[in-house]
Amino acid sequence: MKTKILSLFMILGILVTSCDLTEEPYGFYSEDNFYKTPQDAEASLMFAYNALTFIEYSRGIFYIGELASEICDVKADEGYGSQQLNNWTADASNETLTYFFKYCYIAINRSNAVIDNVVNSNFDASIKNRLLGEAYFLRAYNYFNLARVFGLVPIQKNMVKSISQTSPHMAKNLDELYDFIIADLKEAENLLEINQRVGRADKVAAQALLAKVHLTIASSKESGVPQYTEMTAAVDKMYEEAAAWSRKVLYDQSHYALDNNLLHIYDVDAPNGPEHIFIMSGDRTGLNEGNYSKIGMMFHPWVDGVPFYIKNPDNSFTYATNGWEVFQATTAFYNTFAETDKRKNDLLTTQVYNANGDVVGSLGGKVKYPFTRKYVDPQFIGQKSSAKPYLIRFSEVALIYAEAAGPSAEGYEWVNKIRNRAGLGDLAPGLPVADFRDAVVQERAWELAFEGQRLYDLRRKAMVLDKDPRAIAAGITEAQAAFYPIPQMEVDLNVNVSN
Amino acid sequence: MKKRNWLLRLSLSAILFYLASLPLSAQSLRISGTVKTNKGELLPGVSIIEKGTLNGTVTNTSGEYKLEATTADPVLTFSFVGYKVNEIKVNGRTVLNVTLEEEVLGIDEVVVVGYGTVKKSDLTGSVATVKVEPLKNTPANSIDGLLQGRSAGLQVINSSQDPGAGSTVRVRGGSSLRGSNSPLLVVDGFPLGEAGNLKQINPADIVSVEVLKDASASAIYGSRGANGVIMITTNKAKEGVTTVNVRQQTTLSQFSSELALWNDPVLMAQLNNEDRINANLPPLFIGEINSNGVYYPSIKELQNGEWPHFTRWDEVVFRDVPVLNNTTVTVNSANQQTSFNLSVNYFDEDGVFIRDDYQKGIVKLAVDHKIFDNLTIRTSNLFSKNFRNNNGGLAYYRNPLWPVYNEDGTYFLAGKNDYSHPLALTNHVTNKNNGLDYISSWLVDFQVTDYLNLKSQVNYKYGSSISDQYYPKVYTEAGDFNNGAAHLSNWMGQNLVSETYLTFDKTFAEQHKVNAMLGHSFESSLSRSSSLSSYNFVNEATGNENMGSGDPEKNVHNNGYSSTKLLSFMGRANYSFRDTYLFTATMRADGSSKFGANNKWAYFPSGAFSWKAHNESFVKSLGIFDELKFRLSYGISGNQGISPYQTLSRYGVEQYYDNGKWNTAIGPGYIVGYEGDSYRFKIWGGIPNVDLKWETTTQSDLGVDLAFLDRRLRVVFDYYVKNTSDLLRERILSLSSGYNRMWVNDGEIQNKGFELSVDGDVIRKKDFNLSASLIFSKNKNKVVSLGNEITSGLNTDYLTGMKYEFWGTSLSNFRQNPNILAIGQPVNVFYGYKVDGIIQSEEEGLAAGLTGAMAKAGEFKYLDLSGDGAISDKDRTIIGDPNPDFTASLSLNAEYKNFDLQVFFNGVFGNDILYQNMWGGQPNTMPLRWTQDNPTNNYPSLRQDRTYYLSDWYVKDGSFVRVQNVTFGYNYRAKNLNWLSNVRLYVDAANLYTFTKFKGYDPEVGTDGIYWGGYPRLRKWTFGLDITF
Repeated sequence: MKTKILSLFMILGILVTSCDLTEEPYGFYSEDNFYKTPQDAEASLMFAYNALTFIEYSRGIFYIGELASEICDVKADEGYGSQQLNNWTADASNETLTYFFKYCYIAINRSNAVIDNVVNSNFDASIKNRLLGEAYFLRAYNYFNLARVFGLVPIQKNMVKSISQTSPHMAKNLDELYDFIIADLKEAENLLEINQRVGRADKVAAQALLAKVHLTIASSKESGVPQYTEMTAAVDKMYEEAAAWSRKVLYDQSHYALDNNLLHIYDVDAPNGPEHIFIMSGDRTGLNEGNYSKIGMMFHPWVDGVPFYIKNPDNSFTYATNGWEVFQATTAFYNTFAETDKRKNDLLTTQVYNANGDVVGSLGGKVKYPFTRKYVDPQFIGQKSSAKPYLIRFSEVALIYAEAAGPSAEGYEWVNKIRNRAGLGDLAPGLPVADFRDAVVQERAWELAFEGQRLYDLRRKAMVLDKDPRAIAAGITEAQAAFYPIPQMEVDLNVNVSN
Repeated sequence: MKKRNWLLRLSLSAILFYLASLPLSAQSLRISGTVKTNKGELLPGVSIIEKGTLNGTVTNTSGEYKLEATTADPVLTFSFVGYKVNEIKVNGRTVLNVTLEEEVLGIDEVVVVGYGTVKKSDLTGSVATVKVEPLKNTPANSIDGLLQGRSAGLQVINSSQDPGAGSTVRVRGGSSLRGSNSPLLVVDGFPLGEAGNLKQINPADIVSVEVLKDASASAIYGSRGANGVIMITTNKAKEGVTTVNVRQQTTLSQFSSELALWNDPVLMAQLNNEDRINANLPPLFIGEINSNGVYYPSIKELQNGEWPHFTRWDEVVFRDVPVLNNTTVTVNSANQQTSFNLSVNYFDEDGVFIRDDYQKGIVKLAVDHKIFDNLTIRTSNLFSKNFRNNNGGLAYYRNPLWPVYNEDGTYFLAGKNDYSHPLALTNHVTNKNNGLDYISSWLVDFQVTDYLNLKSQVNYKYGSSISDQYYPKVYTEAGDFNNGAAHLSNWMGQNLVSETYLTFDKTFAEQHKVNAMLGHSFESSLSRSSSLSSYNFVNEATGNENMGSGDPEKNVHNNGYSSTKLLSFMGRANYSFRDTYLFTATMRADGSSKFGANNKWAYFPSGAFSWKAHNESFVKSLGIFDELKFRLSYGISGNQGISPYQTLSRYGVEQYYDNGKWNTAIGPGYIVGYEGDSYRFKIWGGIPNVDLKWETTTQSDLGVDLAFLDRRLRVVFDYYVKNTSDLLRERILSLSSGYNRMWVNDGEIQNKGFELSVDGDVIRKKDFNLSASLIFSKNKNKVVSLGNEITSGLNTDYLTGMKYEFWGTSLSNFRQNPNILAIGQPVNVFYGYKVDGIIQSEEEGLAAGLTGAMAKAGEFKYLDLSGDGAISDKDRTIIGDPNPDFTASLSLNAEYKNFDLQVFFNGVFGNDILYQNMWGGQPNTMPLRWTQDNPTNNYPSLRQDRTYYLSDWYVKDGSFVRVQNVTFGYNYRAKNLNWLSNVRLYVDAANLYTFTKFKGYDPEVGTDGIYWGGYPRLRKWTFGLDITF
């Protein structure tokens, strides 16, 4: 009897002892149950692109790229470190710079996740090439943004999976950083096909970005920008590369082209127009900001706190949301446009109307500054709109080519196409190389105004002090204006980074 | 416990007396004799039972008895309250004179410890026993709240007065920041979870509560023992008796202090106007319709009585007399093989707000059956169901100038955005919850040999709840914004614990006593939840009953799942030499699925030594001590207060608009929180930490147990130091990692203090007893480390260089968290500005470093502590400490003949309260404002647009002494009735009076010291009837 009872206890004991303490994820994805199929990888690639849409990133494009330039001012009580950026007093604790830095790395980590998990997969080659190509492009795009804003930055080449990977090493010099960027872009260019898709990059995007990267190196080194002057590549060689890559876009493909209708470029419902080599994704039906955008509200005037109408060149009206007056075009910049420039007359608005066509605000009154209509979404829902940041346009590639190629016949041809479209005459012929390039850079200011580009042109041409009086008022040097400091949080938390 | 035995014995005696008068069979042995005490006094009323039968009698007034035995070789059991039971073999004698020895109070009580029991005198660790009988006079949803002040080192806070609300329970201070600080609750050997709301167990069914405080006692529960353990034992039937017990309690409640309300409409309107005018805002009470479309009468209209409305909203929203009914019926019966205990309880509590209700029913059946002499099976099954209709928080402070109804009978709403009409909310909002619990426990107890026992217990608990909510289109914000909002949530949780342990208990050579336990335990828990939300209803008639009728595009579905496993091995060895030197060693190994892959197993050892000095001849010879016992213990216990799945990588799910539609995007990193202005910036987590583990608490305890004067005075003293390291914290990661935070073990907290309990039997007479218990606890808590300053994101105090981080709840009126964690300071100290009264002139204000409107007369004079000539956040400093210096309680018990009286005082001393809403439209402080004519230094002027800084002006002394319970009872002992044995009638007044300087409604606030207002504490009058058949 006793033995029977005892054995019963023992069986009970053994039954419950044989248990596994491993934790299985439930209801969430993790490295254990993901990246099994091409569909998984596709979803993770979109996850990587989506990093760009978060306001920390997408608003940073404008706060950083526009405010620290002569073309744009900021609302007096706007926060997030925008006043510092506008006044050239931004320090290592600047909120916008800190978040922009962080979100570039989030995009990089998400791209690395795609690369690390797809590169050794046995997915079908065509799918694999596209996934990898886009991921390489996206990684390079973000390192390029970091390089333009901060100069030397830490390089994170793999997906972060443990705490030991959270202190990546600084790039030794810009050669190391740009070699990495260019290698990624060449890989992307090699792997990708031409395939225009809103919010995604293709072969042409990789070519365009290669052109832009080389132009940045060439012009920066030429202008004596710190760190760039130490780069080994020759300036002329870099201009040649920039010309060669942009030439591929202009001459070797027929999918993308200049859009002859200036307003159509900025038609919020035509993000797949011929100009848009790389444009951010988003739609007004999204749930969170980022999925939809409020960029229009950042640029538009308050007027009476109610939506208004804008008059089109054909005298028809377009409905637009009122805004918060965050980004305000400067009068000085407005005055640089030629009288006949359509980019002034058609794209910068000075009067707003009500539904009856009566003027309800004009410049100097309720319209405090001329505002861009590049981000008007007539079908906005409350604060939600489909307005998208323009990341790479065909027009920019044309101007890159012109700048890189210099005053050749083809160089003149492309800059004049842009000018003619805007209702301007040809650029003065026979300009010396330097003057020609300066003229192209000025053309960029008009053509790409309020698209988050101007700061980087000022920096690579070393003309921050020359162009922006606020930089002089801040008492900084051109060298100090060339880069923002690495954010203090990164210096504090990454043992391999110091300021 | 004592009382219960006494009652049972008395009832038994009555039954036996009756039985004894029946004619008995002829061939029996006639036995007679007297019963005396060991002091030689004759003892009446002693019950005598012939063992194994229902045959018995009681001694008469001369201590004599006569009994006819019915069995062949009879054994008689003599028992009387306060005396040790004496069992004697008759051996053919016809005269049997017996002496009963007086029972020494407390010393031989058996105390429940983890995986076993031990005689109280043999305890080596710090274990407190709570006397539960007095607690039962106050009806409560759970026992937790009643434990307040009843045990040294046990802190209980009942900050919510909602029906069915739980309590905050701490043993020897909080030892964790992000994990739980609540002790583990073990009911009849089943670890049910964290203390706080043990609603499944009827307090009337509880016979003992033990608190395991030091590591020697709690380390046997390993990774869940760091916060202490509360052991609860429920009642079981006693052999040979059938009793039916009915308990009825009815409680009527009232506010214990006045509500702060406006009595004078003119004053209210004048002050409101003043508040707005001083802020350059147009006054409201000017007899015009304001921007919200609401007409505000002018002061004149109010003065001459033209305004017809003055609504007493408190009379609208509060019940006149909230009633609570608590009924318990218990049936106990037992014979030699089987005993059972059936308990049925119905608990019905009115909230103080109209239609705010809670109801609960519990049925419990416990059966013990002896299969063989050495094999017992025991099962207990409990079914509990509760229902809550939540209608709390109605606005009794609503503007009294507004009527309840419009003239057409509709609700009067103050503008379109008036979402606080109490009756509209009461009648149109649905907010209810149904809960169900089932607890089943099965035990096999096998006495292998006389020194070896094997127990195996399987416990299962199932709980579920369903909640329904509907917010209508008008009257509520959620309904207005969403055109009707309906929610339905489901939750279920289950818990399975299987434990088997072997106990060895033997004394060698009469002086080496060994008791050893070896066992293992397996626990698995699972919880699942789902919730549905629908919005935008065309027709509201169905509320949340037909959620498919909402706008399908707005439906929100959520579901959750969590599963954890815990596998443990434990052992304990007790050795005592000559009943003088006692040693205990315990060990537990816990393997938890929640821990990281590199740290799956944790080991928790403890050791204790105790010296019963009173058994040494040199102490005996002093003749002073009945007990002089020293205890010393040290051990390690843990806290596995991390949520499951924290050690794994976790990917996020987002939406990306691609190819003209939304696509699901998945990848590394998910949003764990938000930060910054309007919480617009995301915080990213999801990086795995395979090293994540439990928090470790090491505790040392030095205790002394003393008893004097025939054990009429008993003292227990304990000093302890408790260090918790490897605190679970979130580490901040570099920006270039692509993440913000990850969970790590980092940081340290210390609690140290002492506890003192003094029990005295002041008077011990035949008809009159008076006893008193004093309990005193002092705990000092300190943050020792918060990890690396940078990776933990610590702030630096400008004045002292102290490192700190903000903590707890953010208060919107000050735009900051009032509590901080600061190195070297107690947890939760208040951080803010200092105020030196009120500025009396603008020159004074400017001189103090203030500028603009803040420098004007009537403003707060903030102190420029940094001395930089301006008031900025550099001037902040520690302004208060919500942790009490000490807590104390005193209970007095008196018995005179059939009457008894108990008085219980509970006090908390030296804690600070953040009286955050003492100002700002309050009817009791607003009239005391600063004005030119009343240049007070106590209150600022009225200015509605003032920016308030968190300052020591709001920090008040929270000390209080509460007359927590006064109970007066009468016991009727039915000597001559066979159907009735005992009746008890009593009145209990809970929260009779509170002595405090605090001016808010009640000083009992949460551990963070923040006062939230609400309404006065309820004084509860309970009328109780307790009948035993």
